[in-house]
Amino acid sequence: MTSIRNRFISRGPRLGGRGVAAIAAAALVAAVAFVGAAPADAASDKKLTVASETEISTFNPFLAYFDGELDIIATIYPSLTVGDARNNMVGYLATKWTTSSDKLTWTFTIRSGLKWSDGKPLTAADIAWTYNLVMTNATAATANGSLVSNFAKVSAPNATTFVITTKTPQANILYTSIPVVPEHIWKSKVSDLKNFKNMQFPVVGYGPYQLVGYKTDQYATLKANKDFFMGAPKYDTLVSQYFKNSDASVAALKSGQLNQDSGITATQFKALKGAKNIETYQQAPTGWTGIEINPGAKTKTNKAIGTGNPILKDQKVRTAIAWAIDRKTLVAKVLDGLGQPGAGYIPSGYPQWSWQPDASQAITFDPTKANQILDQAGYTKGPGGIRVDPKTHKKLSFRLGIHSDTTTDSQIATYLVSWLKDVGIQLTVESMSFNQLNKDLAKGDWDILMDSWGTGADPTYLLSIQTCGVLPDADGSNGNTDAFFCDKKYDADYKLQTQQFDQSQRAVTIREMQGILYNANVDIMLYYSDSLSAVRTDTTAKYMYGKPNAQGIYPLQNRFYDWRTAAPADSKSSSNTGLYTGVGIAVVVVIVAAGLIIWRRRSTAADRE
Amino acid sequence: MASPNAVDPVGVEAVTTGTTAERPRASAADQGRSTFLSYFLRKLLAAAVSFAVTLVIGFTLFSLMPSDPVATLTRGRPVSAAQLQHLKETLGVDQPVWHRFLTFVGHTLTGNLGYSWQYQQSVAGLIESRIGPTLLLTGSSTLISIVLGLWLGARSGWRPGKALDRISSGVSLTLWSVPTFWLGIILLVLFSVGFGPIPALFPAGGMSTPDYTGSTIGYFFDVARHLVLPCLTLVLVVFAQYVTIMRSSIVDELGSPYLLTARAKGLRDDVVRRRHAVPNALLPSVTVIFLQIGGLVGGAITVETVYSWPGLGYLTFQALRIPDLPLLEGTFIVFSASIILMNLVADMLYRVLDPRVRAQ
Repeated sequence: MTSIRNRFISRGPRLGGRGVAAIAAAALVAAVAFVGAAPADAASDKKLTVASETEISTFNPFLAYFDGELDIIATIYPSLTVGDARNNMVGYLATKWTTSSDKLTWTFTIRSGLKWSDGKPLTAADIAWTYNLVMTNATAATANGSLVSNFAKVSAPNATTFVITTKTPQANILYTSIPVVPEHIWKSKVSDLKNFKNMQFPVVGYGPYQLVGYKTDQYATLKANKDFFMGAPKYDTLVSQYFKNSDASVAALKSGQLNQDSGITATQFKALKGAKNIETYQQAPTGWTGIEINPGAKTKTNKAIGTGNPILKDQKVRTAIAWAIDRKTLVAKVLDGLGQPGAGYIPSGYPQWSWQPDASQAITFDPTKANQILDQAGYTKGPGGIRVDPKTHKKLSFRLGIHSDTTTDSQIATYLVSWLKDVGIQLTVESMSFNQLNKDLAKGDWDILMDSWGTGADPTYLLSIQTCGVLPDADGSNGNTDAFFCDKKYDADYKLQTQQFDQSQRAVTIREMQGILYNANVDIMLYYSDSLSAVRTDTTAKYMYGKPNAQGIYPLQNRFYDWRTAAPADSKSSSNTGLYTGVGIAVVVVIVAAGLIIWRRRSTAADRE
Repeated sequence: MASPNAVDPVGVEAVTTGTTAERPRASAADQGRSTFLSYFLRKLLAAAVSFAVTLVIGFTLFSLMPSDPVATLTRGRPVSAAQLQHLKETLGVDQPVWHRFLTFVGHTLTGNLGYSWQYQQSVAGLIESRIGPTLLLTGSSTLISIVLGLWLGARSGWRPGKALDRISSGVSLTLWSVPTFWLGIILLVLFSVGFGPIPALFPAGGMSTPDYTGSTIGYFFDVARHLVLPCLTLVLVVFAQYVTIMRSSIVDELGSPYLLTARAKGLRDDVVRRRHAVPNALLPSVTVIFLQIGGLVGGAITVETVYSWPGLGYLTFQALRIPDLPLLEGTFIVFSASIILMNLVADMLYRVLDPRVRAQ
């Protein structure tokens, strides 16, 4: 009995040990929560923390793929030219340029006196070496090879002259700038370029910032280049942090962990509107959402392919569909009003190229007109109100392919089904993965598909995917067409604009091309969604540049400027440090007290029993 | 006074066996070693076969996925037809399935996990850089879940139907049925933005504060702060399974005679539960624990996504998006190997924990 009693008594300290351990653990958690909490990760005066557009996994400019990487690369490596506030190209390394009379030779004068971050001179030789590498090395061409595919040769006759000779006249040379790297650093990397992630910090480069650190899948840290010739950044440090979901980045913005957040949804935008110390911004769109209608898929050799419904070859049917769609309602309901109804092929973020139909050309929402067009074309309504093709006696019943992982697609589909039913056209929605939809598209196995595209400042590529030249080969392979559109006049204009060195003349041609696309109704633009972002006004000022239009929409922003012109705000919100400390102490006291009470109860349990 | 363990019938059996004569005991030891070796080899062979079958199934599934990585990778980027063709050849997507399978097997056997299509980096390198954070998150949450779940389960089962049992079972099963993503978002909004007078207590994402310049201890606390919410989310969702298993095991033990003996010795109820009932009730939990540990390396896709944790789960999700077959295959190999290895360890551990398995 004694031994049991002794054992029992001896349990006091053991229980106490566990109790103390529990208390210590709880106190540790509390300490973790409060010790050095807010001040450590709140956006500080000299640190600009922004949400990265995408993940970041490499800083090799020859391989970089994600937007988040490209934003940083444009900040740490220079280029011949850069887009200005209206996305017109202006000199960066180049101060001026001339073209030869045969339009094949471009001679750039390169800014002198610039130095890489390691002090070595930055000259035209670095530019020529970089361009040559992209032109001659398949790995180096991964990211930007297409930009130099028309280049015959490049050279640097002296330190301040860079010459490009093209195979054929090329009007968009100023838009084809690629990141220039220091030859003395990269020469030794060429042999294993594929595996070089460019993460030897600090990275030698030139730009408003220098890359000094990176944490895998989290963030990149950059230090300001106070000697940048366009003007030093106002912040000392720039952090581009990647959030894997936008709710988390919005939470980080609200708590002050971020200074700026972009790519937010309409719902988040509305929720942030009016929030304390946060200003929301709409930017002009850079892309569109639309539907493409199969006009009869065929190869370059004019051989029909795929299972597209032949009724859709009739332009009148396609035009009737265009009249049956209420784009304004889509903007109001799907985008919460944060966008514009679609029309021209190039979005309004690039006002130098964008086009809108005049009142006489405009196709608006008019079901009566749609019905009238179909009636006149002989498509009479049959059983169930579905129209029938007079030649084949088949119903106007089409497949509508939508992306299963895009919520707006299913929202839009609901409206389209209803609107087209009103004009006697039946749609069957087929939800499929992005990959499956792409596969069907390439094979011509579709009737109507949801589609969306974005573009950079040079629209050449976006225009190219509507030319006959990108139709599949005779065996159905190697196609790069968006919707199997092929029009001789459009193709002639496409070729013309590639050789129009006068950008205003080029713009006229590009607008004419958009008119052709608009009337063909193969790609029907539904809407352009505004780019949405938000900034902490208590810590950051002047993040956005340019002036908003009457609807409050800012011109398209370029991070190259945003990150340089953004400045710490004068006013500061009151600190929460006192509150943090108070709450922290209270929580620790409660935990310790609770632990002691439990311990006390346990140690006297025997007496109670 | 006998040791409390002696009241365990298993313990009694072991002691009884140990009282045999010297020579036969040595012989039994040799036989035991031989039996163990045979048992181990059989389990090892079974594991190898499982791994091979898993690889074939995995590869078949990946091959069936509708994919056009070239189109996906070049979507929205200016590429010529020649470049598309070059990319197809580089990625090897124009190779027949059998050729891709042989490459996959070859990679697996040589430890070369290939080259990611979308990241343009070696798969091994991508996995290596993310496995640490994943193990930190899933390891810490699993450890806490096990300790909390087994502790609560043992106490609940000891007095079934009482208040603690009703509350712990109700709460844990409710949390178990809550979608992880939803719970994560709620905790994120509450604790990283703040509510009412309560300020933001924890960061909204990431594993550490960008550009942290403090001491090593400070960095430890910084990572710990970032770990709290994702870890808490996982614990709240996962610990229920340990509670239920431990509870039912303890309930099964309640009427056992050896517990009556222990009580008859005058031991306190708490000691009877902890020293006698719990060790016997622990075995079923071992299976679940090791299955869970095997899956640790797979990460937690939803939690990693909600809290932007730089782990393997999200990497796998990204690989599925393209789909990036070399990366998918690489992560699949690592996940499969991990689970199969842990099952092997569990099988071995059973022999240590339960003499009845040895006897078989």
